[in-house]
Amino acid sequence: MTEFFAGIEQLALARWLKGSFIAYPIVNALHIMSIGALLTSVMLMDLRICGAFRSLPQAAFVALLRHIALVAFAGALVTGSLLFSVKASTYAAMPVFLAKMALILLAGMNFLAFTRLRRATGGDAPARGTTLAVLSMLLWTSVLFAGRFIGFL
Amino acid sequence: MQFKAMRSVALTAAMMLAAGTPAYAHHGWSWTQDGFFELRGKITAIYIGNPHATLDVDAEGEAWRVEMAPPSRTIAAGFTEEVAKVGDEVTAIGNRSLEASEKRMKAVRLIVNGKTYDVYPDRVPPA
Repeated sequence: MTEFFAGIEQLALARWLKGSFIAYPIVNALHIMSIGALLTSVMLMDLRICGAFRSLPQAAFVALLRHIALVAFAGALVTGSLLFSVKASTYAAMPVFLAKMALILLAGMNFLAFTRLRRATGGDAPARGTTLAVLSMLLWTSVLFAGRFIGFL
Repeated sequence: MQFKAMRSVALTAAMMLAAGTPAYAHHGWSWTQDGFFELRGKITAIYIGNPHATLDVDAEGEAWRVEMAPPSRTIAAGFTEEVAKVGDEVTAIGNRSLEASEKRMKAVRLIVNGKTYDVYPDRVPPA
């Protein structure tokens, strides 16, 4: 495992990012941009499911925001992997980084649970849907905080 | 139920913010002492690159972490991974952590192999 992470750091792309004072801040900025889009779309989607902005049609609103959230997550995943590659072994050994990955996994499972619930109930699933939406907001906020702490621990 | 749920989200976020406030590591100088501090020892690891340049130093058996300037600035001062290697003697002058038990400092000047590198020329001690 140690060799695996050390190997990642030796990849040409990782070595280039380590030394580039233009590429690294750009990737960093794109990561922030993805996170911003992800958190915003997740929050709005979950708040709508909880009953906020009732004037907006739920199905269309949620479908649009879910699409944005998935694209944003893909962006965060790509840019995050690039940032990780520069100091892979250091980050992989940090409890707060591992906590962030575990939280992302939980948030992903929560998303799948919500998708299954919607499919089973055919769209509206008020009670349990709300619980999952609140859980989603909590989990993604925790992911954000854990992520920020990687730079400070 | 829904209002309560949202309120609990807001409360949790506020608590996490409050818990996070004391955390600051290598950014700025707020975490360091005012007076100059000098560390001498052997380099055990060098990292000059994004996001932060660091030096690990063994000083009489104590493992120290020396934080340096942003990597672009460190390299501009002439300090690269080529000018020093693991095992070299180094003198790091700068400010140590306010936390006395923490073996961590931020360097403004590094002296290695007879050469001086001022990574924060505006903060080095007067000659």
